[in-house]
Amino acid sequence: MHRNSLTRSSQAWLYIFPALLILTLFLFIPALMSIYYSFTNFNMLSPQTRVFNGLTNYITLLKDPIFGRSLRNIGQFVIFIMPLQVGTALGLALIVNKKRAGNTFFKISFFAPVVVSLAVTSVLWLYILNPEQGLLNGVLSHFGISAQPFLTSPKQAMFAIIGISTWQGAGYQMLIFLAGLQNIPTDVYEAAELDGANAWERFIHITLPMLKPTSVMILTTTFIDAFKLIIQPMVMTQGGPMNSTITPVYYIYRTGFTDRQLGYASAMSVIYGAAIIIFTIVQRRITGDDNNVK
Amino acid sequence: MSNSHKAKIAKTIISTILITLLALLFLFPLVWMIASSMKSESAIYHDLSSYRAFLPAFDINQWGKAYSSLLARFNVFIYILNSLFYGLSVTAGSVIVNSLAGYGFSKFRFKGRRFLFGLLLAMLVIPGETIIIQKFQIARGLGMLNTPFAVIVPALAGPFNIYMFKNFFDAISNDIIESAQLEGAGMFRIYWQIMLPMAKPAVATVGTLSFIGSWNDYIWPLMVLTDSSKFPLQVAITNINNSQPVYMNQVMAILTISTIPLILVYIFFQKYLVQGMGASGTGEK
Amino acid sequence: MKHWKLSLLAVTVLSIMGLSACTAKSDSGASGDKNIEMWVQYSKEDPEGKAMKTNIAEFNKTNKQGYKATVQYIPRSGSGGGYEDKINAALNSNSLPDVLTLDGPNTAAYADSKIIQPIDKYIANKDDVLPSIINQGTYKGKLYAIGYSESGVGIYYNKQMFKEAGITDQELPSLTKKWTWDEFMDISKRLKNKFNGPAIDMQLSDHSEMSLYSLAPFIWSADGSITNKAGTKSVGYFDSAKTASAFQLIQNLVKDGYTTISPKEKGFQTGKYAMLMSGSWTIQELDSQYKDIDYGILPYPVSPKTKKLVSPTGSWQYAMSASTTKTKAAGALIKFLSAKNQMYRTSMKMTVLPARKSVSKMMMSKVTPNMQFLIKQNQVSGHARPVLIKYPQVSRTFAETVTKATYYKENPDVAALLKKQATDMQQYLK
Repeated sequence: MHRNSLTRSSQAWLYIFPALLILTLFLFIPALMSIYYSFTNFNMLSPQTRVFNGLTNYITLLKDPIFGRSLRNIGQFVIFIMPLQVGTALGLALIVNKKRAGNTFFKISFFAPVVVSLAVTSVLWLYILNPEQGLLNGVLSHFGISAQPFLTSPKQAMFAIIGISTWQGAGYQMLIFLAGLQNIPTDVYEAAELDGANAWERFIHITLPMLKPTSVMILTTTFIDAFKLIIQPMVMTQGGPMNSTITPVYYIYRTGFTDRQLGYASAMSVIYGAAIIIFTIVQRRITGDDNNVK
Repeated sequence: MSNSHKAKIAKTIISTILITLLALLFLFPLVWMIASSMKSESAIYHDLSSYRAFLPAFDINQWGKAYSSLLARFNVFIYILNSLFYGLSVTAGSVIVNSLAGYGFSKFRFKGRRFLFGLLLAMLVIPGETIIIQKFQIARGLGMLNTPFAVIVPALAGPFNIYMFKNFFDAISNDIIESAQLEGAGMFRIYWQIMLPMAKPAVATVGTLSFIGSWNDYIWPLMVLTDSSKFPLQVAITNINNSQPVYMNQVMAILTISTIPLILVYIFFQKYLVQGMGASGTGEK
Repeated sequence: MKHWKLSLLAVTVLSIMGLSACTAKSDSGASGDKNIEMWVQYSKEDPEGKAMKTNIAEFNKTNKQGYKATVQYIPRSGSGGGYEDKINAALNSNSLPDVLTLDGPNTAAYADSKIIQPIDKYIANKDDVLPSIINQGTYKGKLYAIGYSESGVGIYYNKQMFKEAGITDQELPSLTKKWTWDEFMDISKRLKNKFNGPAIDMQLSDHSEMSLYSLAPFIWSADGSITNKAGTKSVGYFDSAKTASAFQLIQNLVKDGYTTISPKEKGFQTGKYAMLMSGSWTIQELDSQYKDIDYGILPYPVSPKTKKLVSPTGSWQYAMSASTTKTKAAGALIKFLSAKNQMYRTSMKMTVLPARKSVSKMMMSKVTPNMQFLIKQNQVSGHARPVLIKYPQVSRTFAETVTKATYYKENPDVAALLKKQATDMQQYLK
């Protein structure tokens, strides 16, 4: 009898079980608790007086201008960060995937912003972007461009955050792209080279198609991570000026922890989480991965 | 020397210069951090507007000063040991737990598989920052508080890491499994002796990312641990960065100390990745 | 080929062994009515932590009832994160310690939620405690928390740069010879013209708690206010003409280029700005790291209408949890820690302002003239922040108002701005 491993089921659970148990305990149940809290007036300081208050939080949410503003901000962020960061990451991965002198140095350099603390990078970026005596305005003035306000301008602040986030995060996706590139067998390239394909053709006809599972994964996770933006605005602008860089997760965090309104923060989490899931499904349809789980 | 050969050399030189410039764009904070840890607090800010920002103090005696006052202030050694212990445990555990799950999703067909995997992707959406109190309640319910389990166990499984492993296992042909089975290998042996070595890029990536994640975590360990002798290095970093007056050279010194292991782990996994590829015959020439 | 898997396995096994070894050691002690636990927001290795260690050892040794206190050191991040997260988690699991520390602005929320209980009767020699400390810890007429040190802000100035700008010593203000906002503006103008850049770093890029803490004294100096006394109304108070005069000052300072919303990091310390508005911690920094800067400290500028000197205050405090069953022991500990000698030890070790008048006297001869100045300014003009349940939200609305006022092109009309902001703030008051 032909034993087909892919039809046996009971054993699968053994392999999945440890991960499933941990995720259920520390991610899934806490998330379910959030859903429950979202229907209560949970104040962090008085958990005992928590009572069910129906849809009150959700109704407040509809009228909350800051939440609305944060949604607009994150929309802007996601639209720009996706092509920028994924494109940069792929470019960097292609550079370091080629054997050349100093490769380790380049690999470390591109990855450096991921491991260097934001305490370091934020000081430097604030200095570079300082409107009055900052480095970048100094450079721009050489090209006859007048001084820009950058992070202190409600119009430019989000773009500055987008730039810094790309710079900071690209190394992370580069690492994953690199793993994907390393997984492409070299004999495929060799065969193509024999057929006379040039570098560009090899990239289009071999690298990209073979990188598809990795690319789809990166697009999905970058997309989701982009929606979870919190650290950069928290450190660089505290959401300002005039709420122009406040993001939903930052606002949720602030409401839940600084303002201690855990009930209301949970309601925001639930609505926002549901929205991201819907967006992600749409995004995966667009990138053609709706049947990833074959 | 032929013209085309010259052109090739010129091209290599130009591209190397350009890439080096690009690399510097990403590297400058790291250099600044290390240089700043080797000079006085005031020199950091005096130098900020010139190239000297990226050089340590001219006086060699200054180099170790921030480090020695740092070591006088904190027992950094214990914190590093704790962080290493958490980081290595999380790294090893996370590679095993997530690859097992990825294997399960990739090479088995079972009821509810699609649904479970969808749920897994949905869990990617949950921002860790917002569920920390709930997580704490669970850890307390399990009696894990003030044990290293509380720090390590929740970090062992991650939807992204499972996804990553599943992707890699998907790319490995089922024929390999079937031929191994014909030779009498069980599914676990196939996982351990065939699949895991073939997914080395994923092992390297998940390993690197897990270590970084664990190394940089601050709030969660602080919440679940009560005994300060068990605190990780991040607690000391946060402390130095937030108790007024903040001495920037000391901040940079402890951040340098804390960044080195991250870079070492990264280099280790990257090296190992390239070696691994060579060994299994699919690496670069 | 194989060794990597072996090492992986080895690490895992080692980890598990380490884990079981650690868990085998269970919590010891912590029983009996005489053992109390305390949480503090700093690390054991800080000067503050070292002072606490000495104080606790002394308490355990000298108290006659046999009380034994143990302290858990929980270093906070930024604005209390980490430590406060831990408090929140403990609240949800009903495991607060007997004694805890809390930041001044948290008093109302903690007292209102019945997390902490009144401690009036445990404080010795209350008249000796600075009024700002009492106000900060008082909610609905009862003292819930006692600050163990004080903080203050002054106008640091660079003597050399002042001289270069032709500002004579006779023109400089002091605690007895106050300077009005107009005089402050005038000196700023001369500095700006001389050095062709902002005269003072007022830390306007800090949109956190620093905003209300350091700028509200301008409002109080003008007899304005953030809310009414009961803390129930901001409309009619935050948008009053008196409050508006202070915001107008801030707006003018930015508009005229005397200060900036994006100051250079450490601009004063590196001789770029002639003045800096900052707290006592900057003394320590300047004296140890920027010895080439010859500086002094000037008092807060006062409103020309009232000439009233007001300066900010605020500190972390000791409090007793409402859930403790060992009130006697916890009370004894708070009494001990807030007594003169223990406060003296903490203030001296941390180089911070004292919270008791008697401690001030003890410190005066032992600290630098600049520190002496801040101690004195604190005693004559210290003003506590409002005690409000939703303080974080109010403070944030305040900071937002400051930011908006400094964007003078977008918000030229301060009165109209305050009207809107007062309505915004009103939703957080009850």
